[in-house]
Amino acid sequence: MIQRGFKGLWRILSDDEARSMHIAALEILEKTGMFSESEKIIKVFKDAGAKIEGKKIKIPQNLVQEALVKAPKTVIIYGRNPKNSILLEGSRVYFGLGGTPTPYIRDVETGEFRRPGKKDVEECTRLGDALPNLKFIMTIAGAFDVPYEVEYIHEFDALFNNTSKPIVFATPGEDAAKRVLEMASVIVGGMSELSKKPILGVYCETASPLQFTTPNENIIVLAKAKVPIVLGPMPMTGSTAPVTVAGCALIGTCENLAAITLAQLVNPGAPVIYAGWGTAMDPITSRCAYGAPEFALGTDAINASMAHYYGLPCYGFGGCSDSKAPDAQAGAEVMMNGLIAGLSGVNLIHDCGYLAGGSVGSMEMAVICNEIAGMVYRIVKGVSVDDESLAVDVIHEVGPGGHFLSHKHTLAHVKDEIYIPWLFDRKSEVTWVKAGKKDISVIARERVKKILKEHEPEPLPKDVKEKLSEIVKKAEKELVKTR
Amino acid sequence: MFMSEGIFDEISEAIQSFEEEKVLNAVKKALSLGVDPSEIIEKGIAKGLRVVGDKYERGELFLMHLVAAAEPAQKAVKELLEPEIKKKAGERKSLGKVVIGTVQGDIHDIGKNIVASMLFAAGFDVIDLGKDVPAEEFAKKAKELNANIVGASALLSTTLPVQKEIVEALKAMGIRDKVKVIFGGAPCTPEWVEEIGGDGYAENAIEAIKVAKRLIGVKD
Repeated sequence: MIQRGFKGLWRILSDDEARSMHIAALEILEKTGMFSESEKIIKVFKDAGAKIEGKKIKIPQNLVQEALVKAPKTVIIYGRNPKNSILLEGSRVYFGLGGTPTPYIRDVETGEFRRPGKKDVEECTRLGDALPNLKFIMTIAGAFDVPYEVEYIHEFDALFNNTSKPIVFATPGEDAAKRVLEMASVIVGGMSELSKKPILGVYCETASPLQFTTPNENIIVLAKAKVPIVLGPMPMTGSTAPVTVAGCALIGTCENLAAITLAQLVNPGAPVIYAGWGTAMDPITSRCAYGAPEFALGTDAINASMAHYYGLPCYGFGGCSDSKAPDAQAGAEVMMNGLIAGLSGVNLIHDCGYLAGGSVGSMEMAVICNEIAGMVYRIVKGVSVDDESLAVDVIHEVGPGGHFLSHKHTLAHVKDEIYIPWLFDRKSEVTWVKAGKKDISVIARERVKKILKEHEPEPLPKDVKEKLSEIVKKAEKELVKTR
Repeated sequence: MFMSEGIFDEISEAIQSFEEEKVLNAVKKALSLGVDPSEIIEKGIAKGLRVVGDKYERGELFLMHLVAAAEPAQKAVKELLEPEIKKKAGERKSLGKVVIGTVQGDIHDIGKNIVASMLFAAGFDVIDLGKDVPAEEFAKKAKELNANIVGASALLSTTLPVQKEIVEALKAMGIRDKVKVIFGGAPCTPEWVEEIGGDGYAENAIEAIKVAKRLIGVKD
């Protein structure tokens, strides 16, 4: 048994518009191409017949087209517990906790921002493991109390130990990717088993506009191992991309197609998760605005339209906000992003618990996002209109002035049809006053504390846990410079 | 004795299945075994309803389930058990008499009906005056039947003021100090009930039972 998400069927782009975007991307990749600071990446393209000019790779259209054919249309990211595995295909939607490490965490006791450490990564992972509507786990903290050379290794150690859900996380560079794959292979029982049943997807971010970085060499390692590559270019409107939403998403589409081509050249059939993002820069603060409507259009609506045009699974945003607290702004922005992502059919909807445009992780917000995700799943599931749901005979039977409360039809359908809030308060004003007039952020904080107190994730076997620690220690010995 | 313990569980489980036929069949079976009707109510039906009520309070079951459990229970008591009790010239043990209705000018009676059947199922003797009931009618019936509680619901802000008239009517009839008065309905609030001189307010049927019991000094 694996999880099969509901399908979001809204498309912002017509097929003609998607084709225009595709043809434009082919033209840009062939004429202007990608810059690469990595010789290894240049070599892959050179061997395949791309035109190399210095550090520029001009990618012929046929290479891109062939890559799009070779990339698998269905990807499963497995949970350490198989019942948590998620099927990524078509427009099935899943929300997930967090993203890449955040520089601050909003302390759940004090509400103050502070620098997070490995313990925070562990706690956030444990929280995500307990939240029923978050189906994959990234992070809303960072292990900044360990040497920076091994930060990602420690973060993966925290992730692997504290959740049995699918993990999506970053491992910049070739060396880090190899070490993380070794950790994952220890858990599943070998590299070939990991290729068959990957328990993680790895996030790879190109540098906008149109650049491969040295850390992107991890794409080569991951493609060889057939571990899902989760792409994520972040061009911003009016700065690293044209100011128009479509033009910005076009840059993301180009980088994304270039990365997919790289992966397929290395290993045909390597699983890739599409992300042709166009993000938004706030023209006043110059920050990437995660709560901007253009952000939702570029990273979710257009992205998903293009992914569906190509038939590839995709990755987008849904739990993020520019607000600094779990407040009304945060709720509105998260619901906007989440609903657009859900309706558009983004397979992996990430960033639940991200505040301040990804600078602050908040466990209260993650808990609120869990509720929003539940509401979005319900809307995406939609309504069925058939004899059973129209219930004409039931209406005849009950008649004017009667009630449907105790009817068999009501009892048969109430639990599937009606979404019951997991966190949000629908009680009366009288009850609310009696219970201490608690704002939802207060209720969310209480819930965080309760979960952290009570929830124990499925532990790794003792020997596996020890082997992971050994890999971490070895990395520290080999990578940490003496200071 | 062993036989009857089994049959009480069967009735309680039938109530929890929300299937009227099962409830009626189980009660008939109990009667045919010669089990005392009052015991059937207390040890079978009331127990099943308590389980459903507890699950409702824990959020495991919904309002729909409360009603779906209470309705067959009510039917079984009225149609099968009360006639048997009367045959033996006895009376159903009752926690107290409640005169209940929807106020004049208002035909929204579903909520009132739920409260009525929940009160009945909880062991009260319920006299339901129906909907669109004049204030004087509440007072008249309460006096005539020597009621312990008068309950009135109003769903509209325009019919809410009629609840105040009921208090006045009870005073005019000289029985205000003999009955407790409880009010409910969407526009009704605890402050309003206090303002018009009522005794209790509840926002749902389960709460209504608790308030009714508290007002007449029965332990929950």
